[in-house]
Amino acid sequence: MSPYIIETGGLTRSYGDICALKPLDLQVPEGEWLSVMGHSGSGKSTLMNLVGGLDRPTGGTLQVGGENLLALTEDGLARFRRNFVGIIFQQHHLVPYLTAIENVMMAQYFHSMPDEAEARHALERVGLGHRLKNRPGELSGGEQQRVCIARAIINSPKLLLGDEPTGNLDHKSTIMVMELLKELRGEERFTVIMVTHNQDVAAWGDRTIHLDDGMLVREERMNCQ
Amino acid sequence: MNRRRWLLHLVMGAIAHRKGRALLLLSVLAMASSLATALGIVSTSMEKRVAEEVRKYGANLVVTPEASRLDIGSGGLNFGVVSEPAFLDQGQIDSALAKSGVRAEHSYQLRGALHWKERDLMVEGVNFSDIRRLFPWWQLKGSWPAEGESVVGNDLATRYALKPGDSLELVGKAGTVRCRVSGIVTSGGEEDGQLFVSLLNLQQALGMTGQLSQVRLMVTAGNDGIKKSAAVLQQLLPGTKVSEVRQTAHTSEGLLTKVKLLMVMVTAVVLISAGSSVTGTMSTTVLERGKEIGLMKAIGGTRREVMLIFCGEAALLGIGGGIAGYLLGSAIAHFITRTVFSASAEFMPHYLLVSLGVSLFLALLGSFGPMVSVFRLDPVRSLRGE
Repeated sequence: MSPYIIETGGLTRSYGDICALKPLDLQVPEGEWLSVMGHSGSGKSTLMNLVGGLDRPTGGTLQVGGENLLALTEDGLARFRRNFVGIIFQQHHLVPYLTAIENVMMAQYFHSMPDEAEARHALERVGLGHRLKNRPGELSGGEQQRVCIARAIINSPKLLLGDEPTGNLDHKSTIMVMELLKELRGEERFTVIMVTHNQDVAAWGDRTIHLDDGMLVREERMNCQ
Repeated sequence: MNRRRWLLHLVMGAIAHRKGRALLLLSVLAMASSLATALGIVSTSMEKRVAEEVRKYGANLVVTPEASRLDIGSGGLNFGVVSEPAFLDQGQIDSALAKSGVRAEHSYQLRGALHWKERDLMVEGVNFSDIRRLFPWWQLKGSWPAEGESVVGNDLATRYALKPGDSLELVGKAGTVRCRVSGIVTSGGEEDGQLFVSLLNLQQALGMTGQLSQVRLMVTAGNDGIKKSAAVLQQLLPGTKVSEVRQTAHTSEGLLTKVKLLMVMVTAVVLISAGSSVTGTMSTTVLERGKEIGLMKAIGGTRREVMLIFCGEAALLGIGGGIAGYLLGSAIAHFITRTVFSASAEFMPHYLLVSLGVSLFLALLGSFGPMVSVFRLDPVRSLRGE
């Protein structure tokens, strides 16, 4: 059995004539926290979308959790995402008419069965036990991001993807969110792929890869914070 | 919370979040389904009313035998035409009516002369129960005859000073009819000069068992039913003449058909307009919620599951619009029938299904197109708001 949760070989993604990701060979061991850095348009979000089964590559191979994502149908990819992946978005993407707890329960609905007690527990873990019934409009940016984290971890994913999760947060909230992610990772042992252009945020990971113009240009091991 | 309850909760939340748009959609759906309901109820009420009116005209078809004709003459000499009275065979009529499938009430009649007090009287043999249904305008002084009783036309009664309770002994070539007068009839027609006895008694007295002079039919099929029934019966009864007797009824039915056609066309125009409006509003709603759809797909919702949520919303709005449309449509129908036809519309609960059907159809059809276009996008593009 492969020790890698993610393995890509010559992975590419083009949009017409534009090559967003040039042939990429990447292995991510299970439990690793990988930071992906690069400027805008460097291909880091493209990589995250491919690994998360949100998008399809135009070439190469892509194995995630032993699953060949290229072979999966549209519905197969949806099932892969619900069972295997948790996603934290920069824009939070919370449903505005649902309360914090209901937003978490929506992920449970697509996974298996909405369970209010479990959703409450997940929100308590991210420090939002007192904001269960608040709608996104009534929460601060940091709180919304924590709801997003609770939603991402509720189904115990093996892979947690973060697309600039602290991009819209101030320094204090950023630290809070990163500490929370580190703590949860310690408990859940999931693999993290964190896309960021912030060196400080990237430094929370075990390893950082740098992309430029769709190519892997540099890789560095980090010291744990 | 189970999945079904959660889905309902989610759908209700989404509708409540867009109250204004939901109300607009509900109004359009309610208007369209109310019109379909109202026109349907009015149309049904009108049909019933016309049918009732047509019934008042009595028989609308008559079957008579074609008389045997013989031209008398030779070469250039022509002495005229001799015709022999002909009769219908009751068994043949029964069989033809059964075969034709024509829905009609009928009255068998036999005419013949019976001897009474040294004079011949024109007597008509009928089944009185049929006469009561087919000739509702007959005014009867006295009572309808029971077994062994007869009815006398008003003119005949005046001429021979007959009154209810008188006994008659009428002699035919094969037997005698003894009866008591139970009533005097006034119809304003040829019936006023006739004597009516039981059909069976007259057939026996005349020695004409199973024979009839004519059959009157009241076809209840409506619309083109009379013409079609006449044609069918004519084919099954060679040697007879099947003809329409009430042009007024035919005209009423023709008018009703045209009014119904007009209503169907108006309803179709309204449904098309409402459908366009629903499609437009639903398109805007679905497009506005592209990111929400993208999110649902990103966190693991399959197309079918996410579609179910949006179809659930459309269906819930459709049901709401259908119920409101039924109530509104019933009220409109009541108002129209009261003011235009001076009659009250019947309570027609089955039109709730029509209203729900129209509303659901419009809501789902209007949502389907925009949904399909949005659902084709992958989650990433949807989340970007493309």
